[in-house]
Parts: sequence; C-alpha cells; structure tokens
Amino acid sequence: MFCSIHKLLISRAVDSKKQIPAFTKRHLGRCDSCQEFAQLCRSLKQRFAHDTSAILKGYNKEIDQKVISALSEIKESRSTLSRPGLVPHLFSKRTFLVPSLIAASLVLVISISILFLTLPRSSEVNSLANISDIFNRAHPAHILEKAESPLEKEYIELIETIESTAKFLISRLDVRLGP
Amino acid sequence: MDKVIILKDLSDEELAADTAAGSRSSFEELISRYSPRLFYFLRHRTASDQNVEDLIQETFIKAFCNIGRFDPKRKFSTWLYTIAARQAVSLYRSNKTKKPSLVPMVSSQDPQEIVIQKQESQNLWILARKLSPKEYKALWLYYAEDMPVNNIAEIMKKKKVTVRVLLHRARTNLAKKMDKSVYFESFAGENPAEHKFSFS
Repeated sequence: MFCSIHKLLISRAVDSKKQIPAFTKRHLGRCDSCQEFAQLCRSLKQRFAHDTSAILKGYNKEIDQKVISALSEIKESRSTLSRPGLVPHLFSKRTFLVPSLIAASLVLVISISILFLTLPRSSEVNSLANISDIFNRAHPAHILEKAESPLEKEYIELIETIESTAKFLISRLDVRLGP
Repeated sequence: MDKVIILKDLSDEELAADTAAGSRSSFEELISRYSPRLFYFLRHRTASDQNVEDLIQETFIKAFCNIGRFDPKRKFSTWLYTIAARQAVSLYRSNKTKKPSLVPMVSSQDPQEIVIQKQESQNLWILARKLSPKEYKALWLYYAEDMPVNNIAEIMKKKKVTVRVLLHRARTNLAKKMDKSVYFESFAGENPAEHKFSFS
C-alpha cells in the first residue's frame, strides 16, 4: 500500500546521495518489490555508464562532417566578419533595441508637437475665458458677498417686523405722529 | 598532430574560449566531443533520426554564432544542452516531427556493425527511449552526463523538485518495462543473484 511512498523515498535518497530512511529500510525487509527497486536504483548508475559508452560507439560520424560543412557555409556567408564572436554582437537584440527605442520616442515627440500646433485658436480663447470666469468666482469679495447673504435676510425680516409693530401700535393707541 | 593532442587535452570551456577567439579547430573538437552525446540526448521516443540530425546541426550553428556570449565560468555542457533542449522545443512546437524509428542507426551490413546493433538492442538506453521524452532527457543528463539536479533543472527549465519527480518516474517506468532476459543477457558472466530486476 505504501510502496509508492517508499519507492519515492528510495529515489530521493539516490538523488541526494543520502541514506534511505530507517522506516523504509524496515519496509525493504518485508517487501520484495521495493527491495528490487532499491537494488535497481543502486545499480542504475553503473549500468547506464556501461551502456552509455557502448551506445556512443555506434554513433554515425557522418553527422559531424555535415555539421562542420554547414558551419563552413555560414562562415563563408559572413566572411566579412573577422571572428565568430562578432556575429552575435552585431545581430544582438540590444543593437536593434536601442535605435528602435530612439526612433519611437522621436516619433512620439513629433506627433505631440504637431497636435499642439494644429489645435484651433477659438477653443484656446474659450478655454481662457472659462479660466477667467472660474478665477472671478473664486475672488475673495465674491466669496464674502455670498457669505453675508443670510444676514441680509435677517435684516429685511427685522425691518418688516418693526414696520408691522409700528402699524399695530398706531392702530391701538391712536398715536398721531407729527403736527 | 601536436595541435590535435593539445586540443584533446583542453577542457570544454577552454575550447569554447578559443573558438570565441577565432579558432575553428577548437570548435570542431567540441563538435566531435558533443555530437554523439547530443544525438542520443535528442533521440527520444518522439524524435526521428533525421530530426535529431537537423537539431544537432542547428544547435551547433547556434552555439557557434553565440560563442561570444558564453561565460567560461559556467559549464559548457550545460550551456550546449540548454541550446539543444530549446531547439528541440522549437521544433516540437513547429510540428515538424516525423514518425520515429526505434531501430538503432547502422549504415552498412558490416559484421562488426551488426554486432554493435545487437549490443545496442540490449542497451538500457534503447529501453529508456520508450519512456516519455522528458523522463528520457532527465535520465540521460543524470546518468550519461553525470549532471547534478540543479543543472538538469536549468537545462529543462524545470524546478529541482520536478526534475527529481521526473527521475523517480523514469526509474519506476523503466523498472516496469525492463525485460529480465535482456538484462541478464547483457550482464552475462556476473552473478545474477546480485541483480534481481523482475518487476511483475
């Protein structure tokens, strides 16, 4: 049931070149499948080393010649360059990136200037008038005027009250004012 | 002749530095060192021999053109295998892969080559070719190139944990696929009791 976990731990121990955990060792004592896997893991390095040298002997050397001839063709086509190290330098991303960035920023600046120059005058005047209007509204005197308006109302109300009181008193007391 | 001997004594990184300085023979030495290894690295289940040859050619051309960018502090093998892996991915994406053949390459009916063919059929790498391309590549880099998991992760553009899991899966699947007779035949003369690999 836990064989897959134990196999993973065995594999991990092989990769990290550490010892297999104690509980996995105990499991190996009673599980043939895991024991075989552990043996396989231990022997794979030697086995693959043996088989690698064997398989490399069967390699077709003609491929090397094809690669070398392909490289000579490239070298001939780029014969103007003195050494191969220059090839990537000339065709590097940075070489292309810097001029393209400069060109893009120039185009941006020119287009903004053209837009600014071609803007209609009237709109400019209107915008200036709007600005002056806003400025006037924001003037301190105007603000004070607006701020005193409630007192003015009270003043008018007071006058009206005094007038009505005077009329009342005249009618009741028969007060004759003047000669 | 002396030059050949000197080139053979040089490390991969030194040869790469020589190539960057303009030495063509140094790069040819690198080709002879790495083309067989790259061939079997790229020759997984879904790759045909023709595709592999094209990939090797493209890999070396790209390496030659970019040799000026190679950092000698790094391992040349890691750098070259990274290029090869990327080329393989590009080819896979462009859907140019042809139907592969699992028969080992033999150019003639020479008796010596027939023996080699027979030996190859018993080779564990031939069996490993039946695994998934990722598992096969991880196995090749780990066992044939003796690379640490870090470098394999860098080449395959995977996390270290993923590479470890790939290696584990490769081992498990290999064990399932492993034929007892093929294994013991190739280990003729050794004590079979030391190698019990029957996975039923």
